[in-house]
Amino acid sequence: MKQKTTTKTSYHIPIGPIHPALKEPVYFEFEIDGERIVDVDVKLGHVHRGIEWASRKRNPIQILYLAERVCGICSYSHPAAFTLAVEDAAGIEIPERAEYLRVIQGELERICSHTLWAGVAAHEIGFDTVLYFTWEIRERALDLTEYLTGNRVTKAIMTIGGIRRDITKDMLPTVTKHLNYLKDNFEKLRHAFLDDKTVKIRSQNVGILTKEDALKLCAVGPTTRASGVKKDVRVDTSYFAYGDLDVDYMTPDVLTGEINGDVYDRIIVRLLEVKQSIDLIEQCLDKMPSGDIIAEPKPAKLLSQLKKASGEGVGRHEAPRGEVIHYVKLNENEDAPYTWKIRAPTYNNILPWIPMLKGEQIADIPIVAASTDPCMSCTNRVAIVQDNNKYELTKEELHRLSIEKTRRLMKQ
Amino acid sequence: MRFSMLPQVFAQLFKKPWTNKFPAKYQPSNTTAYLKAVSEGKAKINPPIKTPPGFRGKIQYDKEKCTGCQLCIKVCPCEAIEFKPEEKKIKIYLARCCFCSQCNDICPVNALSMSDEFLLAGTDPYEKDLIVE
Amino acid sequence: MSKKLSPEEIVKYFKDEFKTKIKDVQVRKKSAGSKKKESYSIWMNIDKSIFKPFVKHLCDLQFPHLAVTSGNDLGKTIELIYHFTLGYGTRFGEIVLNVSVELPKSKPEIETICDYIPGALVTEREKQEMLGVKIVGIPDTRRLFLPDDFPEGVYPWRRDETGLEKLYKNLHEVKK
Repeated sequence: MKQKTTTKTSYHIPIGPIHPALKEPVYFEFEIDGERIVDVDVKLGHVHRGIEWASRKRNPIQILYLAERVCGICSYSHPAAFTLAVEDAAGIEIPERAEYLRVIQGELERICSHTLWAGVAAHEIGFDTVLYFTWEIRERALDLTEYLTGNRVTKAIMTIGGIRRDITKDMLPTVTKHLNYLKDNFEKLRHAFLDDKTVKIRSQNVGILTKEDALKLCAVGPTTRASGVKKDVRVDTSYFAYGDLDVDYMTPDVLTGEINGDVYDRIIVRLLEVKQSIDLIEQCLDKMPSGDIIAEPKPAKLLSQLKKASGEGVGRHEAPRGEVIHYVKLNENEDAPYTWKIRAPTYNNILPWIPMLKGEQIADIPIVAASTDPCMSCTNRVAIVQDNNKYELTKEELHRLSIEKTRRLMKQ
Repeated sequence: MRFSMLPQVFAQLFKKPWTNKFPAKYQPSNTTAYLKAVSEGKAKINPPIKTPPGFRGKIQYDKEKCTGCQLCIKVCPCEAIEFKPEEKKIKIYLARCCFCSQCNDICPVNALSMSDEFLLAGTDPYEKDLIVE
Repeated sequence: MSKKLSPEEIVKYFKDEFKTKIKDVQVRKKSAGSKKKESYSIWMNIDKSIFKPFVKHLCDLQFPHLAVTSGNDLGKTIELIYHFTLGYGTRFGEIVLNVSVELPKSKPEIETICDYIPGALVTEREKQEMLGVKIVGIPDTRRLFLPDDFPEGVYPWRRDETGLEKLYKNLHEVKK
């Protein structure tokens, strides 16, 4: 009897919904050969809560607070896109001062989100000192948010037709004090992250997304800007007060002069955007005109105005992770909208994971996936099925693998 | 540069930690005994950091001003407000409230306002401390 | 593409090719900020038969960015709206193009556009499971957001008897 020739089979690693260092519950199945990844399969839907369905019996003002709870980190972007869609459908005009205030709140949220991401990305590499440093900077930005809106995370400051709270003259000294603190520490942050040799070794030429792939897969946000595609809703369209301000696309060649599309470029794009946000807030505080902050101050009248309106509207906003788009259809004499469709930016950034992860090592999975900044936190468990034995790797194991790789590279 | 965070790390050795030690500096070994000692005056609790003005804490209800128009019930996103038809006043369930303060904005007689109380945890959603009426 | 397109040129480009199959064209203009800079959006309704040639014609003009597709249940028909954007890359150059296609409920089928725009895979899979639309030629037919043991034939976004009316319970009725 002839001996059966052994063929090399590849292992399949399912990285389950609750998993390593990725912030969103996503199910991956990796086909690996040794330590290299050969193929990737993605499955979604683990945090599907039926939010669009819950909107079928609520009026637009109640839906604002439902939209805020879609995501904790982008808790300003979803109400912003929703109000843009409703104002497009119902034809409501907004006073100018409200538009400048909306820009300030949006950019403040961008600063909080990008500094959180910088800390998490450093933690994936094993650089915990930078995690504590960036999160202390973030605490001051959150203090400023609490002073302006009343709460650190669920801001509840957007409303249809304007904004709920104003920045009065006696609030300005506190605001400028916090902004100066952020400006002084930005240079230290940039130096700690971008000039460090270990960060460069771990992140250069890892997780490359080419420009054609980014275009064809319709990626959005800093993920696609780091590959050289110039897509930014704030620059392309004129909404809120961005038409008056000096904004430009942030691509890595602003700092280094060349575009590689790897993880290092994404770090550069996000840190440059923090600097751009501080600059935009200062421009807004200088140029803000005086006037009303809301088109219809009595909510009861606003509700009856919306009940009579009918039409369809689309609202787009540049959230920290990319483009958010909401579609609303209003019918006459009905309280609740007929249809509401939300598309969060991470859904367009899921497909680019496949070309980014092919050919990488397992220890690179946390940093590559975290570099696209998926939106939501979670814990994890990894199950490896090898032959007939099944054993589990916990989050600590995968994290340990990632840190060990850093130590190995540092010794070389 | 290899160790770019070194200057910050050295500076931190000489600075006080930024954390406010609320409620106590170290975790007590028996929490209920510690709370009993506090109520008898034997131990102290460090106060939390003061909240800024405009903070959205526990809701405060002025019963005399309320006219029973039910506009706040129409606009609450969490359905946390209940109407009492015999008295024509409302009852607010704090366990459901999401502290958005939209009811404050719509009330025509300003009977509702937000205080700065935020230590509101309880064990039963329908207990007396968590209902405002 | 460095040439800045105006919305009228885009509408003319499609109307020259497809003539009467395009209906209800609406160009909306919105201005924002103190300087009142404008941004445009185009809404049009096209016939199901020219859908795939329409998308090919669009890709010839400039490679679009497909933001998302939304769906409506209008009683006897299902309406799918594709939200494209053109002209990204230049300041104030982006134009949003919203194309709606109506499908009869007796035969809700439409062709895939994944061979022209690979990024459309996620949103087409979502329409298949949420509205019951059959996308012909899609490379991956698995469910996207709904769990695998969700009953067949139940389409959450629909408002008729195949919708979700029997499946949900109110929390306060269940718990206390």
